[in-house]
Amino acid sequence: MIETRDLVHRYGDEMENDEGRATAIDGVSLSIPDGEFVLLAGPNGSGKTTLVRHFNGLLQPDEGEVLVDGTPVSEDLVAARTRVGMVFQQPRDGFVAATVGADVAFGPENLGLAREEIDRRVEEALSAVNMEDRREDRIDELSGGERERVAIAGALAMEPDHLVLDEPFTGLDAPARESVVEHLRNLKAAGTGVVLVTHDLRDAFDLADRVVALGEGRIAVDGPPAEVRERLAGFGIRVPPVSLGEGPPEQNP
Amino acid sequence: MTLSYRPGDSLAHRLDPRTKLAFQVAFAVAAFAHTNPRGLLALSLVPLGALRASGVSVRKSLREYRFVFPFLMAGPVVAAVTLGPPWVRVDAGVETAMASYRVVLVLLVSAAYLRTTPVRDSRAAIQHLVPGKVGRLLGTGVGFVFRFLPVLQADLRRIREASAARLGDERGLVARMRLVGIAGLSRALSRADRFALGLRARCFAWNPTLPRLSFSRGDLPVLAASLALLGWAFV
Repeated sequence: MIETRDLVHRYGDEMENDEGRATAIDGVSLSIPDGEFVLLAGPNGSGKTTLVRHFNGLLQPDEGEVLVDGTPVSEDLVAARTRVGMVFQQPRDGFVAATVGADVAFGPENLGLAREEIDRRVEEALSAVNMEDRREDRIDELSGGERERVAIAGALAMEPDHLVLDEPFTGLDAPARESVVEHLRNLKAAGTGVVLVTHDLRDAFDLADRVVALGEGRIAVDGPPAEVRERLAGFGIRVPPVSLGEGPPEQNP
Repeated sequence: MTLSYRPGDSLAHRLDPRTKLAFQVAFAVAAFAHTNPRGLLALSLVPLGALRASGVSVRKSLREYRFVFPFLMAGPVVAAVTLGPPWVRVDAGVETAMASYRVVLVLLVSAAYLRTTPVRDSRAAIQHLVPGKVGRLLGTGVGFVFRFLPVLQADLRRIREASAARLGDERGLVARMRLVGIAGLSRALSRADRFALGLRARCFAWNPTLPRLSFSRGDLPVLAASLALLGWAFV
């Protein structure tokens, strides 16, 4: 379970007073149970990326706290970063090695696992994104969609309870987007919680258990997709059109 | 980042960039000419005034330069320690410490310049002061460095964050430095390629139209102070 309690994050010089700094997250309290597929939506600058960076301790709260499985992230960063995997908006930002296999192995190596266990995790993670035969390929020779899948594999190799993906569809063509959605569907079926950060809900709306929309650093909408669909449009968030048979129940005379 | 240009209306913002460059050079010359304690004490007042005139806090500027301090502090130690008797030469250590302090003062004055001068103005000032191809080369180089450096810094920050997200900070210092170094170099080369492509796509020219520079009455006291510093340096 990921939990934030009255989380506040301000950008700007820490030596300035609070009025001189921009508030990106303004008192967000949120609980994400294990296995839940959450779409975190909102327009640019609404605080989505800032919020998820708190989930595995990449940012420190100015006020409030973040807990993973009941333990404050600040008290056990290793546990938080093991349980919450992070896939960055630009996959290339997350790569630390030249080849696919070496990069996916990076996280498990940092956990100090035995080589056999690392190999098993790399194999499974690459297999989960259909890249098992690309282990020796150079990352800089991959397409955008393949890089996204390697980035997902890198996070999966930590065997997290939750996977956070920050705008994973940016710059991908339709087949690549569909491929990523398919992998997310498999992750959900396997019981991994997913937090998908996006301002365009069309790709993964049907997969979501819940949609949380941020506006100016606060939670503006929170609920099941079907219930909040209409309210999301008011925030400039793209939602898929209502399909036939999904409309309100017919009124009997 | 504090040490990049920020629009403002401070006294230093209103100065001609050539005046600010002249003041910087004069201060550096004076700082290198007067390395005794009394001279350094007097010179210490200058960065305080320069930072105040540019609206930058001394604490913030020092914090931005924090990565330089280990090297500046290592200098006196290396100078003082000898491999044989007497093992420690205090006078050599003090002399180097004063030289390091002098560098801090020069850096603080440059912080005031960086904060108040747009890159284009710096380039124009350099090309006015150094005529011909050398000036164009220098001006263009300064422009490239100031535009490219923040991008590289952001790249390095992202590499560190990405590594930390997968527990890379559990590795030793050397392993982390190697990781950030190799990934950073690769990213810098790739950035340079894209930067060159972007320049060509936007018709890069060695002699573009630069901002018009003009001295005002406000420049006079600063130019006079620059001359005074230069004069003091050669006394």
